[in-house]
Amino acid sequence: MMVLETILYLIAYPPLWHVLIVGLLGAFFTAVVAIWFERKTAARVQRRIGPYWASPRLGGFLNLIADMIRYILQEVIIPRSVDRVPFVLAPVAAFVISIMPMAFVPLSPYEKFWPVPNMDYSLLLALAISTVPPLMSIIGGWASNNKFSIIGSIRESYVITAYELIFVISLLSAAATYTSLNLLTIVNAQSPIAWLLFLNPIAFLAAFLAVLMSTSAFPFEIPESEHEVVGGPYTEYSGILYALNMGGAYVRRFIYAVIMSLVFLGGWAPYVPPADGPLFAIIIPSLIVAIKAVILVLIMSFLRAVYGRYRLDQALDSAWRLVLPMALIGLGWGIVLGLIL
Amino acid sequence: MSISEGTLGELRSKGVEVRRIDKEYYEIFIGPQHPGSGHMRFRVKLDGDIIVDADPDIGYVHRTMEKLSEGREWLKITPLVERMTIIDACNITLPYINALEKLMDKRPSTRASYLRVLLCEMNRIASHLYGFGIFGVFIGHSTAYMWGFGDREVFVELSEILTGTRLTYTYHIPGGVRRDMPQDFPQMVRRAVRYMRSRMPEYEKIFLNNPVIVTRLKDVGVITKNRAAELGVVGPTLRGSGIRYDVRLAEPYEVYGEIDFEVPVFEDGDALARTWVRVEEIKQSLNIMEQAIDWLERHRDEPVIPKEDYDKLPKLHKEVYEKSGRVKLLPAQISMKVPPGKAVARGEAGRGEIFYYVESDGGTMPYRLRVVTPSARNAIVFKRILPGHRLMDLPTVYGSIDYFAPEADR
Repeated sequence: MMVLETILYLIAYPPLWHVLIVGLLGAFFTAVVAIWFERKTAARVQRRIGPYWASPRLGGFLNLIADMIRYILQEVIIPRSVDRVPFVLAPVAAFVISIMPMAFVPLSPYEKFWPVPNMDYSLLLALAISTVPPLMSIIGGWASNNKFSIIGSIRESYVITAYELIFVISLLSAAATYTSLNLLTIVNAQSPIAWLLFLNPIAFLAAFLAVLMSTSAFPFEIPESEHEVVGGPYTEYSGILYALNMGGAYVRRFIYAVIMSLVFLGGWAPYVPPADGPLFAIIIPSLIVAIKAVILVLIMSFLRAVYGRYRLDQALDSAWRLVLPMALIGLGWGIVLGLIL
Repeated sequence: MSISEGTLGELRSKGVEVRRIDKEYYEIFIGPQHPGSGHMRFRVKLDGDIIVDADPDIGYVHRTMEKLSEGREWLKITPLVERMTIIDACNITLPYINALEKLMDKRPSTRASYLRVLLCEMNRIASHLYGFGIFGVFIGHSTAYMWGFGDREVFVELSEILTGTRLTYTYHIPGGVRRDMPQDFPQMVRRAVRYMRSRMPEYEKIFLNNPVIVTRLKDVGVITKNRAAELGVVGPTLRGSGIRYDVRLAEPYEVYGEIDFEVPVFEDGDALARTWVRVEEIKQSLNIMEQAIDWLERHRDEPVIPKEDYDKLPKLHKEVYEKSGRVKLLPAQISMKVPPGKAVARGEAGRGEIFYYVESDGGTMPYRLRVVTPSARNAIVFKRILPGHRLMDLPTVYGSIDYFAPEADR
């Protein structure tokens, strides 16, 4: 019994659990599932079959694993004209930093499972870290020394200025409602079913759109739009570096979705951990949060089959003129909610 | 670092071509190895995100069609010029055969004319769906792409049943066509028409009325009525600008004069209007297909080649024709001599008016063959209309005029 307890505790050791198990593995798994789901649903809408041959019984799921292995084994071509160090470091850094917000989010109400001892500013910290990875893709694009990469980077920087504010403001509406930047307080206040999704849908929608923009999902797939700028910031990348860039977008989408499911979807609610054992207090809540996040990611992925992409100026226009006011209304309504509750 | 005028002069005297690079603008080369360029290259100068100058560098797939024709027998030219627009092979070769018929003073049999019209319209639909699909993926709409290519297959397969090949039909011969339709062809055509009619509303829902797509296409690449006439654009690009001009209407060839159809015209002149023109044309083509197949079903006994041609056939060829409706060509037809003279013919291909000038000196090969293709006439749009738009509008304009580089380059 002791052995099992020890193993469970080791696995549930908070920093390891948060960053590596839920963060990295969860993101990895989500990336595979989301890409597979995206291809499969798009294929269904488009009246084809989609991935099939690698494993017909699993609906071609192993195709994605095969793709991943191919990316890992492919030759990494580094053109002579690039600035080597930032060129190689940028995608790696972007991928690693994408997962870091997991170190600041609570996945359990019990203190011994928190990755950091104090959760008081967790929302702010998670948000702050989540804004860094896009800068890396700008650095990567700039280091590529390719005209298309630079155009892609510039587009990325325009898009960042548009969505970052929206995302932060719409999440701060939760802070205003519960007068706290502590994610744990926010999650507990929503338990079991008073989720902010229902109380403040406008802020949720604004945050959702901001995540779409930030991870270049359709209809905002602008920085790497293939038919104008080839691959945008990632034009010169190949092999595992390209996979990190491409997978990085899905990882970021997953991490954003985790933050959103904590703030808007009540975290592990309606489940209330009955005891502080590793299984009940951390593994099951993490699973619930991850499932909510995956559902959000899948909804985002599905939009690919329905929409084309906006033009850059139209996307920025709608962000500043439509979504930003939405986020502000969400914030205002959040303050009103805070006064009522 | 700047180079002095003296050095420049020295370089020039050595035969080096020197030009100043405009440092004010960001110049990018889109194509020919670019996912959104097709077989051509654009030199685009950008001021920020605005296109200042767009230079379509055409000629990348120039295959000297006109010169090659001068070394081929008359009938062997059809499979050659087909390669200009392989997706629109019927429409693109028909005017050549018409011009040849004028030179030889031959009239096609009515049944052959109807078969030609039927194939042309099937081909027009396939070509429009192809262009529609490419356009969709240019602006990031993968569903339009897959639907367009998937539904195109219906008409490609119909063509295969009628002619024996999917794309390169070589169906027309002077005075007729090379194959009669199979017995059960009318049912297949009607089923295809029904299917496509039921699909059209879905295209409108997912693509043409999709808010993102409408925002993207509306008021982009506007060619006003006057401008369109001035630039001399043709086809859906012209009709999208409000000018009612269609060769099938202006100068009916084959049996288009007896068929009831409309020419869709939209006034706006933007990318959205051009897309609508193509969608409406698909509907009209479906109507024409129905009328043609009705006529063909009623007149099953008429021949697909003129009587005098049939009489000249040897016994074996007659037997094959009676049995399978296939017209076997005689060696004498391949090396036939065409009376000296000049002839022109026009036709409405998927992308617009195609024009042939054929001159014969009485030999087995043409003395001169001149082709003016619709894409070649539409290429001017890039140069004149693109400046002032944003870089992201380039694929929109490119896709909306349905430019097909191999056709323009010949």
